[in-house]
Amino acid sequence: MTSHALLPANPQLALADDLLKLLRTTSTEPRPDDQLEALTLAVAADLPVLLWGEPGIGKTAALTQLADSLGLPLTTVIASVHEPTDFSGLPIVGDDPAVQGVPMAPPQWAVELVRAGRGLLFLDELSTATPAVQAALLRVVLERRVGALQLPPGVRIVAAANPRASAADGWELSPPLANRFVHLYWVHDREVVVRGLGGVWPRAELPRLEPARLAEAVAFARRAVCGFLHARPTLIHRLPSTETRRGGAWPSPRSWETALTLLAFGTAADVSREVLALLVRGAVGDGPGLELLAHLDRMDLPDPESLLADPPAAELPERGDLRQAALEAVVAAVGARPERERWEAGWAVLVRAMETGAPDLLVAPAKALAGLRRDEWEVPAAVERLAKVVGIADRAERSVERVEAGLGAGR
Amino acid sequence: MEKLLAARLHAVKVRPYLAVALFALHVVEDRSVPTMAVDAHWRCYVSPAFVARMPVEELAGVWVHEVSHLLRDHHGRGERYARENEEYGPGERLRRNIAADFEINDDIYGDGLPHPLGAVLPSLLGLDNGLLMEEYLRTSSMSGLAADLAWLDCGSGADGQARPWELGPDGANGLTRQQRDAVRFRVAEGIKGRPGEAPEGWRRWADEAFHPPQPWRQLLGAAIRSAAGAPGVGENHTYRRPSRRSAAVPGVVLPSLRRTPPRVCVVIDTSGSVSDAELGSALLEVAAIARAVGGRRDLVSVISCDAAAGLAAPLCRAEDIELIGGGGTDLRSGFTRALRSHPRPDVIVALTDGQTPWPSEAPPCRTVVGLFPRPARGVNEHDPDYVPDTPPSWARVVVIN
Repeated sequence: MTSHALLPANPQLALADDLLKLLRTTSTEPRPDDQLEALTLAVAADLPVLLWGEPGIGKTAALTQLADSLGLPLTTVIASVHEPTDFSGLPIVGDDPAVQGVPMAPPQWAVELVRAGRGLLFLDELSTATPAVQAALLRVVLERRVGALQLPPGVRIVAAANPRASAADGWELSPPLANRFVHLYWVHDREVVVRGLGGVWPRAELPRLEPARLAEAVAFARRAVCGFLHARPTLIHRLPSTETRRGGAWPSPRSWETALTLLAFGTAADVSREVLALLVRGAVGDGPGLELLAHLDRMDLPDPESLLADPPAAELPERGDLRQAALEAVVAAVGARPERERWEAGWAVLVRAMETGAPDLLVAPAKALAGLRRDEWEVPAAVERLAKVVGIADRAERSVERVEAGLGAGR
Repeated sequence: MEKLLAARLHAVKVRPYLAVALFALHVVEDRSVPTMAVDAHWRCYVSPAFVARMPVEELAGVWVHEVSHLLRDHHGRGERYARENEEYGPGERLRRNIAADFEINDDIYGDGLPHPLGAVLPSLLGLDNGLLMEEYLRTSSMSGLAADLAWLDCGSGADGQARPWELGPDGANGLTRQQRDAVRFRVAEGIKGRPGEAPEGWRRWADEAFHPPQPWRQLLGAAIRSAAGAPGVGENHTYRRPSRRSAAVPGVVLPSLRRTPPRVCVVIDTSGSVSDAELGSALLEVAAIARAVGGRRDLVSVISCDAAAGLAAPLCRAEDIELIGGGGTDLRSGFTRALRSHPRPDVIVALTDGQTPWPSEAPPCRTVVGLFPRPARGVNEHDPDYVPDTPPSWARVVVIN
């Protein structure tokens, strides 16, 4: 035993300890936070997440909070200070390698993680790890194997990296490794930081999956992704081609499967479109992700047949561009099976739209619907109520003509 | 209200590629707004008196102008600019609004939209057209204009600063961030799908809306680092020597970390089409990056190359390199020369404007091409069918501008 233990405690140091304890006493509050919700959902869906963010932005703090609120022990591994063998296993030469083989011994943190049976594995500083370490990490992230050890299903994996601009000596992420992650870009929210320094941090809550909605969520996600890829087959696999897109998310069958999983989880947990968008864009990249979201928007539009079935009760979207798209779908549905009753119902839907929203949206659909008229069909009386639309269209027409005439006169 | 909507139809008719964005705007009538203004959540605030005194065709121009603020993300960019430069206050707000208007107004009028009399144009200050808001803010004080244009107010959508009449993020009918991104994305895709319809400025916007150009220095650095750090080159793990950790874990075979400085060979296109200033800055950059990845100066060599390749000169002092050439280009000879040198380079960096034939197959080492962009040339007088090849797919291409 050393003699230090016998020395009387320094009163100043004890006071310092008290002060530190006070400083570290913080509480949490539930707070709507899209990026935290997205992170929690991806972790719940057991998909590897990669947090991109400037150094010191609070990625590690967010992970600590997440582990706390999920009740998982946090294991942090700084990838850049490790060697490939720390992840692929350390070869140990035994007595008779030819007979027994050379076992690949896992490092201590992996053994402890397996013994605990569950936990949050946080691989920090991924982008500053050498290419060989990144290659070894592929197996950890994808197959969940560290050497000869298989990580149990209760272990979730989150990694963090600094963006290329701030990692001066960083390697970029290789496309195969990048493809396995859901990329979330971590930005600090001024209010969260200020409130957190004041002692109250936001709390991550596990997304509440509705038991009744599971089957429906899977069906929805499959319909959305399959329908979209059916229409845009070129987006199924596209390696990042330009320098600016390297190291980020890109579409491949694997990442589409990730997107499908996230969509199903998001639907079952009923998260907002914002969170869903962060996740989908993080899985397959910005462009394909945004296109998939636009496809979801179109799937949300009311079914044209049900609008035609009961025009007076028609519920049209509030947003102008979506409303116009819904009306165009109605006209297209009439055009696909032109019958007099359907044509008249189409006009009734337009009248309903005019009563509930901006009339200028109706000009293009009304023109198209008028073009579908057969000779023997009489114009329904309801059309007169669209006189305002005609007035606006004429006025716009005249104004365009005025400008053209003005230009013609040499203005 | 009817007049305002007729004006929106006019705008849709003459700018069909903006239709989605124009229809996505939610109109809010408000008497306290000076003219017409937008907020970051895609609401459009309109003063009824302003609508009453404007002709429909001019209102159409105002619609396009306001929606342009939103599409070009002026609120986000304005806020970022204010934060980075710590410039707040009403005067600065006005300056940002004017600069944003400069960026928009230089190409939206004409072709169906009449030029409004009071339009704020860069030419008012003798500035060039076609710059970005940030560039206008940096190059000009705009103090001369500010007094005349104090009434100018396009809302927080133009500069990122909230106004008293705005409904804020929680108000009704606002678009969320993802919805805004989705609308901007659809407009950008529409412009890219039918590039003939939109003017140059909008096409450039569509290309960059979701992938803003990154500084080439960082890209070139990352490309060279990754080429020089590939397995077999640069810093990596090796079993050729025992690890220093080995002594601590008997019975375990550990690799050690070894640094093999990469040999970088820079092939420089010295044909007449590349300017000395461009070459100078790129070459210094390459030398600096090569040093940073651990290359010693004697491991970086330079070959100047026009139609024939010069000798490989070691880079002792960057200033000493003599760049010889000036005629047409054939980079193939440069590549051949680089690969014939002993010892063979690990990385070849070619700096060129791309007006050259390329080797038909990939060289046996990593290749990075620093490309000086050139506008697509129309016709070559000697050979009308001549089209310079684009850099091959085996090279990593970084555009330097």
